[in-house]
Amino acid sequence: MKKMIKISTLTVTASLLAVAAQADKWSDQFPHIKNTGDIAGECSYESMSKKDYSGQKLTINTHAVPVIGEPTALHAEQFSKLTGAEVNVIHTPAGDLYSKAMVPFQAGQAPYDIVFGFSNFIRDWKQYLQPVPAKYVNMRQMQDVTQSHIDVNSWDGEMIQFPIDGDRHYLKYRKDVIDNPEYQAKYKAETGNELRVPQTWKEYGEMATFFNGWDWDNDGELEYGSAEVMKKDDLMFAAFFSRSVAYAKNPRVPGGYFFDLESMEPLINGPGFVEALTDWVEATKYVPPGGINFGLGDEINSFGGGQTLFSFSWDDAFVAAMQDDSPIKNKVGAAPLPGSDRVWNRSSGAWENEFNQAPYIVWGWTAAVAKASKNQDVAFDYLCFFANDANHQADIAIGRFGVNPFKKSDFVPELYVERQGWDPEIAKQYAETLMEMEEGSTNRVFPLRVPGVFQFNSAIATGTSKALAGQLSPQEALDEVAAEWKKIVKRIGADTVREAYAIGVALEDNL
Amino acid sequence: MGTFYTTLKYTAVTIWSMFVIAPFLWALSTSFKDFNSVTSGATYIPWVDFEPTLEGWRVLLRSPAQGGVNIVEPYLNSIFVTCLASFISILLGTLAAYALSRYTFKAGFIKNDDITFFFISQRIMPPVVLAIPFFIMLGKLGLLDTLLGLVMVYVVLLMPIAVWIMVDFFNKVPVEIDETALIDGCNPIQAFFKVVLPNSIPGMVVAGLFCMIFGWTDFFFAFILTFTEVQLLPVAIVSLNSSITPWWSLSAAALVSVAPLIVVAFIVERYLSKGNLSGALK
Amino acid sequence: MNFKHKYLFLLPGFLVLLGILIFPIGFTVRLSLSSWDSFFPGLDFIGLENYTRLFTDDPRFWEAFQRLSFMSVITVFLQYTIGFALAHMVWKEIKFQRFFRVLFLIPMMTTPVIMTVIWKTVFHESLGPVNDFFSLFGVTPLWLSSEALSKVTVIIVEVWQWTPFMFLLLLAGLLSLPKEPFLAASIDGAGPIRKFVYVTFPLMAPISIGAIIIRLIEASKIMDTVYVLTSGGPGTSSETSSFYIFIKGLREFQFGYSAALSLTYLIIMIISLTIIAKMLVKLMIRS
Repeated sequence: MKKMIKISTLTVTASLLAVAAQADKWSDQFPHIKNTGDIAGECSYESMSKKDYSGQKLTINTHAVPVIGEPTALHAEQFSKLTGAEVNVIHTPAGDLYSKAMVPFQAGQAPYDIVFGFSNFIRDWKQYLQPVPAKYVNMRQMQDVTQSHIDVNSWDGEMIQFPIDGDRHYLKYRKDVIDNPEYQAKYKAETGNELRVPQTWKEYGEMATFFNGWDWDNDGELEYGSAEVMKKDDLMFAAFFSRSVAYAKNPRVPGGYFFDLESMEPLINGPGFVEALTDWVEATKYVPPGGINFGLGDEINSFGGGQTLFSFSWDDAFVAAMQDDSPIKNKVGAAPLPGSDRVWNRSSGAWENEFNQAPYIVWGWTAAVAKASKNQDVAFDYLCFFANDANHQADIAIGRFGVNPFKKSDFVPELYVERQGWDPEIAKQYAETLMEMEEGSTNRVFPLRVPGVFQFNSAIATGTSKALAGQLSPQEALDEVAAEWKKIVKRIGADTVREAYAIGVALEDNL
Repeated sequence: MGTFYTTLKYTAVTIWSMFVIAPFLWALSTSFKDFNSVTSGATYIPWVDFEPTLEGWRVLLRSPAQGGVNIVEPYLNSIFVTCLASFISILLGTLAAYALSRYTFKAGFIKNDDITFFFISQRIMPPVVLAIPFFIMLGKLGLLDTLLGLVMVYVVLLMPIAVWIMVDFFNKVPVEIDETALIDGCNPIQAFFKVVLPNSIPGMVVAGLFCMIFGWTDFFFAFILTFTEVQLLPVAIVSLNSSITPWWSLSAAALVSVAPLIVVAFIVERYLSKGNLSGALK
Repeated sequence: MNFKHKYLFLLPGFLVLLGILIFPIGFTVRLSLSSWDSFFPGLDFIGLENYTRLFTDDPRFWEAFQRLSFMSVITVFLQYTIGFALAHMVWKEIKFQRFFRVLFLIPMMTTPVIMTVIWKTVFHESLGPVNDFFSLFGVTPLWLSSEALSKVTVIIVEVWQWTPFMFLLLLAGLLSLPKEPFLAASIDGAGPIRKFVYVTFPLMAPISIGAIIIRLIEASKIMDTVYVLTSGGPGTSSETSSFYIFIKGLREFQFGYSAALSLTYLIIMIISLTIIAKMLVKLMIRS
């Protein structure tokens, strides 16, 4: 299976790179796609230019500039030129995307034709969205999207959100330290362990602690162990889940990870999660000053600015580090998230001492068309155009755009070496890591996508941040979260939550 | 004794001034930085500590397709909405405050103080819950995403301030002034406009400033109630706040958005000393 | 006084306010009796369930209230004393009087949503100037990430931003004080301190009370500062009622519950402020 994927990917890529050699009339007009020229497809520049949407208007609510905001506006401009449609884009900070879309929806209005957001909004807002028509799902462009990204944007087999970006959590580390023979020797001498890409969270912690608080890259500033999202805002819970998957997702125990599917009892205060939270409380000792209040932006600033040895959430920190003007360009590496030496089995009620690792298929940016939109064809065409091969290839090369790989044809190292000046070994490692997570893993956790998802996430954030602040012990904190979750389930209705949760569980258990 | 107090005075005033100016200086310096200057530790002086760039400022004039946000139109929108809403609020608020200061109202057990308190208690409500009802209301009136809709909402937010402050100031204007005017043959309305009002200019100016400040700096309602047609300045600026906080453009934006109000501050200061009562009684 | 005139003055403002507010307030009350949230929008009727929940099952709300009271009393007290002192100092002759007066007004003219981000960069523990300064002494105070200091940081920012409010009101008040009582006091041989305690302060009482009340109201709504600087953290140590209500409302989308919280908050605030106002009157007018 893997070999098949590799071969087909190489073929597609070869053809893409071959196409790059051609300068065509579209790349003259639209310098954005100068590297590849227009790539043929139903939503290519060529195809769009044949459509006439003059007199039609699109209103789009997207994220702030530049992450996703800039490409939205840029593609809006291009689309407008090609088809004659009028496209208005407004930009909203990440934390407000949900409310900016939901308040009008719930008040019965639909001022936006297209809404951008995070893919875990799906259960809450799908009642207001128009599913993606089959014609788009069947396009080659869409078939190229990896299965996990299709899953994350679909509900029960129906594609509700349009894949325009890919996101994942993976481990990022400073190659100039981990691969450094001097430091390897030093580490071995002082701890007796190998300095290598950490295989477990315990190793991660040990290495981070060792490299915490001294200047190991000789730039005159102190460096620290790890930059993590710990700020009690919308994203910290994702960091927590990434840390807990290895301990709590047992491939031999189906039937739910966050809840027991049958009873809808929260599992969040089980020993696996508590172990992860205990690790995380330890981590507060090896983050930079103020690290306990780091939001995603701070994490990017920190790791991307060369301040820490490790980081493990979204792509952005890695991309920032690999920018041309970054002092640590080509000094960072990518690897799958650490695993653990033991995993909890909730059926048998005991720890199993086996190595366990599983990706947390994290949600990311997505876009969708409102059901009440009067310009649905135009809207879907816009989204298709946004994600067309030429635009997508160009977008992923521009770090600040925030568009990351999600198509099978993206996971080809040569692309990054040629277009972005990456070191070939790093590009290979990056592509392999991502490919492995998307296509290769057989044990994974899907994000929580149930009604009222924000309430659950908010409860996690509050509880875990109390533990990080030392206000409660990890077990107490998670017990509090579990109690809160029980209340939320009761309020929303156990059956309603179960029905939604079953969909995610099915994706996890049927690999 | 005198010199001790004087030195104390100047020292205190200087220290507070430094406290006031410091963040602005930091913002000014930061507005010329870029990602690397910010992530390598605190830097202060351009050319000495870091390479300055105009990027933070240029971003404010570019379109989003080029990675910026053009703040010219939002700027003008904010000016219009703030001025109009403040004007209406001061107008209606001053009239109401005068009534509450001079006349007695009684409806059951509700007296003057209660009515005054009703006005000001509108400010207590956390705005969050008002999001949906205001949205629905403006939606039904077709005023969503319009300048007039915003003005209407802001009048509701600003009038209480005008009333609260003007009641205090009217209470300081001695009733004898009104009575003198009435004896001179004016009716109450003329008395108000000719005599009382000129003496309350400091109060009106202060109330006016507060109205303008709260109107200019509001983010919440502008955010909820507008989409594409109308954008106010705070919403436009915040649209730069993506995953990586752009320290530089936000610093530039902060300085740019405080500028007009500084002009207003000068005007206010000039009018503060006018209408000093000690002269009026003569 | 003619019957008609008093209504002519009062009614335009009063009616406009009432007219625009009546729907939102009514809606909010109705909302608090429903379970409107992201998944079940709409006004179903669940009676007083939201209220029962907040009184019996929501310690976080009451903790937030406590914290709010604590922080707003401190900030308003600081703003009042500093504001009064500053107003008094620039009231009479002082060099650069106009400059100081205008300068002291500026902080409150900044847009909180933006200015708090600037403050976040100022207090940033690794990359900000404050800790750069403190590192000279070898300490790295955790301004935004320690339980105790996070409250201090919020207070500092609030004091910076809103002292001008007090300053302006009190300055305007000082400038409109009649000269007679001061002349009389001078004739009686009173020095500056006695003048202040027995003449200035009592004469400024009404406006002081007005200023304090309105500042308390505004301080209680403090949102942007907490949201941007600390997100209510670490843990919940800098969470205030308005922040909590915001989270429940616009983040978790539990609008029905948030409405109940808001109305309860409104009533508690009205009661507290009335009590505080009466206390202040007794305190200040006594002299």
